[in-house]
Amino acid sequence: MNALKKTLIIGVLVLLTFSTAMAQEEAPAISLNLDKTVLNNGGDIIVSGKAPAGKPVFIEVWAEQKVKASRFDSDPDKETGKRPYILYLTEAMPAYYKIFMPKDRQPAIDAAKNEGKKWSFSKTLKETGADAAYSAPGMIAIDRCQASLMGSIIGSRGDMLCPMDASENKKSSMQLVKARFRSPEKIMGADVDMSPDGTFTAHIKIRKGLAPGKYMVAARVDKDIKSRVASFENTIKLPNIYLSNAGTSLNLLGPFFLTLAVSIFGVLMGAGGGFILNPLLLSIWPLPHTIVAGTVMPTVLFSQGSGIYNYSKIKFIHWKLGISIGLAMLAGSFIGPKLTELITLDQFKFVFGWILIVLAALMFWQTTPGYLEKNKKEQAILKEFKKKAEEAAKTKACS
Amino acid sequence: MIVNFWGQEFKINIVIGCIGGFLIAIISSMFGFGGGPFMVPLMTVALGLPMYIVVGSSLLAIFFNTLMGTMRHFQFGNFDLLFFLIMFPAAILGGYIAPKIAQRVSPTTVKRVAVAGLLILALNLLGVY
Repeated sequence: MNALKKTLIIGVLVLLTFSTAMAQEEAPAISLNLDKTVLNNGGDIIVSGKAPAGKPVFIEVWAEQKVKASRFDSDPDKETGKRPYILYLTEAMPAYYKIFMPKDRQPAIDAAKNEGKKWSFSKTLKETGADAAYSAPGMIAIDRCQASLMGSIIGSRGDMLCPMDASENKKSSMQLVKARFRSPEKIMGADVDMSPDGTFTAHIKIRKGLAPGKYMVAARVDKDIKSRVASFENTIKLPNIYLSNAGTSLNLLGPFFLTLAVSIFGVLMGAGGGFILNPLLLSIWPLPHTIVAGTVMPTVLFSQGSGIYNYSKIKFIHWKLGISIGLAMLAGSFIGPKLTELITLDQFKFVFGWILIVLAALMFWQTTPGYLEKNKKEQAILKEFKKKAEEAAKTKACS
Repeated sequence: MIVNFWGQEFKINIVIGCIGGFLIAIISSMFGFGGGPFMVPLMTVALGLPMYIVVGSSLLAIFFNTLMGTMRHFQFGNFDLLFFLIMFPAAILGGYIAPKIAQRVSPTTVKRVAVAGLLILALNLLGVY
């Protein structure tokens, strides 16, 4: 009987402590309100609330939709000078993330902008005091792969390294946020208006072309003092569509007509459209270069296939030659796509720029009189052969 | 390797062709374009083959490249189906419209325009302007 009483008392005590703890959780130190719950392809939203007086308020906004982000670390270590060659990869990056800070933090954001491509997200967060409030992407699962030369040759991402601890994970999540969203003004905004009594308002602009779905909003002054998580919905309606792998919404007519124009021009100039289409897509829409390269490539499969069929009908393919070189190309294209994710968008653009200059030189060479003269002769032979071949095919079909 | 084509014989160094094809394939699959404009000069200039052999056979070689490149990009998750479904019909439609326009324009003029266009695009990518 005594034992039963004891357990009962302990039970009640435990319950009491739990419920008080939960009550503390339920009454956040910061109140938070949104003026809207629905946006249509971006728009303005006003976040207001009250925080403990005198403390800076940081507001995090992030999308529930997830995208892929990756970063290849090949910068030499500051102490040992060794290059790590590690690929950081996550599938859980929010499709949108931005941290809003008090208005007086603007100079720090401008400083990051002025640093150009080398700006550091973690440094700016520290300078503005926002690192204590940075939390939404801090916990995402990040894989690390040790890349090696041999691995690259056989086209593997490399050995998976053991998971990072929480603080390491947080640090590399900041680098991945930067790798994904690139510019300081996309992930940081000094838009929070503070009053001395602790009330705050922020006019937040959600840009066009973002992911649809639920967006979370939370305010924080430091690690422990935070608001509840509020949310709003961003809707994307036709003709705008959301490309889930690219993490971008766009008007579907844009890429359609661009591809149409480029592919017509491509056929006329005798070069595939990919040369022009890839860079144009990248400069018009905020798409990852990996997705652009990987998605443009298969669009020509069909036209190549039908071209081969047409040439083979008139016996205009030397199979042994085509397959021999084709097998070498097969090996090359096994490696290439892996390298795409090891380079940044800027490196992609830089190399692509030089490829286009070489291509322009080749094109120019094809307009020089000497080449045209030679080409004329060969075109005449080609025509003659084609005629013979078609006739041969015809007589064969009739006999 | 000896290439026999419509009664004509050409002696080529297939090793050069394969090394060239291999390198072009790496670059072209990495950056997502067909390697045609680079394969044709490789086969005509480096291998010394006439244009009429090269047009069909280079297409066959590039097809291997596109097929493997596509599979690998897909494997790494660098493929967006919806994006593909927007561009694919446009590419096919372009392939039907282009030959109808082709008879009315001179290929040399198109190429000259292309040279200018490619240079503008290249300078943009290199961040010159």
